[in-house]
Amino acid sequence: MLMLMCTVSCTVVKEYNKIAINDEDMLLSAVDCERFETNFQIYREAAAGANGGKTGGGCGCN
Amino acid sequence: MDVIKPYFLLFFFLLGGIVSAQTIDSLTQFKKKILESVEVDILMSYYEQEGIHAAVSGGIGNEYLTNYAPTIVVRMPLNEDAILTADVGISAYTLASSSNGNPFNQSGASNRDEDEETPRGNGSSSGSPKGSPWVASTGASAKDVLTTVNIGYQKASDDRNQYWGVNAGGSIEYDYSSLNFGASFAQLWNEKNTEFSLKGQVYVDRWNPIIPTELHEYELFQETFLYNPDSYFSGVSITDDQGNSVAGYLPGNFTSYATVKRNSFALSLGLSQILSPKLQGAIFADLVVQKGLLSNPLQRVYFQDRENFYIGNFRSIPQYTSFENIDVFHLAYDVERLPSQRLKIPVGGRLNYYISEYLVLRSYARYYSDDWGIQSKTLQFELPIRFNLSWKFTPIYRYYDQTAADYFGPYNTHLSSQEFYTSDYDLSDFSSHQWGASLSYRSVLSQLKIVDFGLNLLSYAHSIIQEVTVYRPLLYRLLSNLFWINRLSHLQ
Repeated sequence: MLMLMCTVSCTVVKEYNKIAINDEDMLLSAVDCERFETNFQIYREAAAGANGGKTGGGCGCN
Repeated sequence: MDVIKPYFLLFFFLLGGIVSAQTIDSLTQFKKKILESVEVDILMSYYEQEGIHAAVSGGIGNEYLTNYAPTIVVRMPLNEDAILTADVGISAYTLASSSNGNPFNQSGASNRDEDEETPRGNGSSSGSPKGSPWVASTGASAKDVLTTVNIGYQKASDDRNQYWGVNAGGSIEYDYSSLNFGASFAQLWNEKNTEFSLKGQVYVDRWNPIIPTELHEYELFQETFLYNPDSYFSGVSITDDQGNSVAGYLPGNFTSYATVKRNSFALSLGLSQILSPKLQGAIFADLVVQKGLLSNPLQRVYFQDRENFYIGNFRSIPQYTSFENIDVFHLAYDVERLPSQRLKIPVGGRLNYYISEYLVLRSYARYYSDDWGIQSKTLQFELPIRFNLSWKFTPIYRYYDQTAADYFGPYNTHLSSQEFYTSDYDLSDFSSHQWGASLSYRSVLSQLKIVDFGLNLLSYAHSIIQEVTVYRPLLYRLLSNLFWINRLSHLQ
């Protein structure tokens, strides 16, 4: 994906052409209602992080 | 008329100048607020879980858990450029596994003060105590409340190409407290097609260690703990595999922890890119260092090279690892021991594609590695489908797998000569599949109400023993002005 991003990064999408990009489902992070689900996963699984959220610490888990 | 004409021209010239000046003035003064008005999210989550690998009883036992987590998040604009966020929540839970820190309360045998985690007095005073890793005890550690508070401040530059933020917060529960603070920065360029973000977070945590009853009494009374009148085990019959009452139990492996502190330092990098009018992606990389007491003081470990001792009905020992055992408990020699440092490196990415106004594909992938020997892969796909302006249906699939930590071993398989050991199945080799869907409704006229109902099924498969556990988390969400209900179920 990094290569893809580097390849296409010359493309500039103008503001007036970002209707689809600005759609709420195109958000590049977990949706709000996933916060509890993510918390359960942090308790149940060893891995965490790299999702714009919590990476460990702050509770008895991980 | 010829006299008036120049005045008209002058008037319109001046008016045009004024209008032009006002327009320029308006343009220079106008900035879109990064948050138009105060937003309040009221969230509520309910989670329920069943399992058979309780770490508190050494990798076997009842993991039944319920959790209620009401949370409120308030975001308020301080001015056009800055917002303040307050996130306050409590998480109230009951745990069958943690209740078995002292497993002997189910019989009411111990003279335990409910306000203390440690049993006091003679365990034999109310008859023969008995316990089981499969039966929840009734002690104070059977339930707890985690309270969290986080405050954040974010500011944007005039051109909205830079964002700065700081945050601080804390959490507290009976045996654990935490303070955290952090800072973040984001830079956008390429006409806001590209964004780089940097975030640092520090957690300063502290255990209030709760240790299993048998080890706690040994810590207090050392070699006299089986007959000291003040010890819980004074007068309690301890048996071997054959039911013979013996006095050879001595958990000499156990020593108190040298530190109760746990500090975590996390550095997060993110790079996002708009790839086309309908496609955008991002990559994330974290570097996390944890130091201090990284093991859980309540989680027992059993050794295959040490003699076994029990309290309770010795006839149930052959069924010890099954639900049929309701009245005998294996005494531990130690709790889990893990290195005092851990380096974690997760790298992830998201790629979202706007297929049409009715359909979006959201994808997420992550690779994780740490210096305890764990490697994991995560894949997630979401497919929001809009039926109309109000209704949306979102199926979800998530795959996760991980290898075991170098220090993991199932129940009664560790050697007492090992430096590090754990039977916590969170650190075992397993994979999981999660299927789910949610249905949401938004009022088009008011934009005030959303109902979101979701169902997820999650199955975990522990490859070591090929057994199945069931998790049934339920998640309800209420949003201010927006109303969500989200239901989640795991099946393992």
